[in-house]
Amino acid sequence: MKKEDNLKENWKKDFPYEKPQATQINRRDFAKFLTLVSGGLMVGSGLVAAKAYLLPKEEVQGEHYICKKNEVPVGGTRGFVLEGSTIPYILIHLENGEFRAYEQKCTHLSCSVFYKPGSGIIHCPCHEGSFDANTGEVLAGPPPRDLPRLEVIFKEEHVYVKAFIKVKEREV
Amino acid sequence: MSTFRKSQNSASPGKLSVILSTLIFVQILNVSIQIWLLYTALNNALDNNTEILIPAFIASVVLFFIGFGWLYYLPSGNFTRYK
Repeated sequence: MKKEDNLKENWKKDFPYEKPQATQINRRDFAKFLTLVSGGLMVGSGLVAAKAYLLPKEEVQGEHYICKKNEVPVGGTRGFVLEGSTIPYILIHLENGEFRAYEQKCTHLSCSVFYKPGSGIIHCPCHEGSFDANTGEVLAGPPPRDLPRLEVIFKEEHVYVKAFIKVKEREV
Repeated sequence: MSTFRKSQNSASPGKLSVILSTLIFVQILNVSIQIWLLYTALNNALDNNTEILIPAFIASVVLFFIGFGWLYYLPSGNFTRYK
């Protein structure tokens, strides 16, 4: 058998499709496939709703000690993790003297965010996302949501954090 | 056996193509809306806004059944497929 003929035969064995078959897997099957995708998306939406109602995200319980006030200089930050959790947070000492605590994961693709001292901006270096350090709101870039926030409270010189209660606009 | 279908098909041979293209167009539209609904639902779920999730799910179910119902109109072709 010639080399070319041999190659031809092997090719046919590897891809045992007749040309009419290949052209017949067309719009009819594609329409059915789209219905399957549609069903998948429906199930996905159902799972999102079920997860949100049946297994809601746990709120931070109680107050957690972080550090002393003077351990974080003005414009400085301190990373921390709450007990029993793996979510990283940052404590920021703003230039106006106030403290803020946010989740350190960008709401876009969970990259680690950092505070730019003097700018009032929390920055995500992955896709140039920016958040307001004062409120956690998105200022620029692809992040779809604000940074989750913790409330900072002081007991003498000690800094504590607890769950931030968001006051919805319509309830004000 | 009636020759109605055969004569119809030979009179307007492009009909099958038009029906299929329309079906697929509507299904792509449905799937696009469903992707948008899922994206919105996820974002709101992560932001603890749960009130939109059930309506988004219901809309997704309706769109799926519209797409599924469309399959009833899927033409089987003018001739018997290869055997």
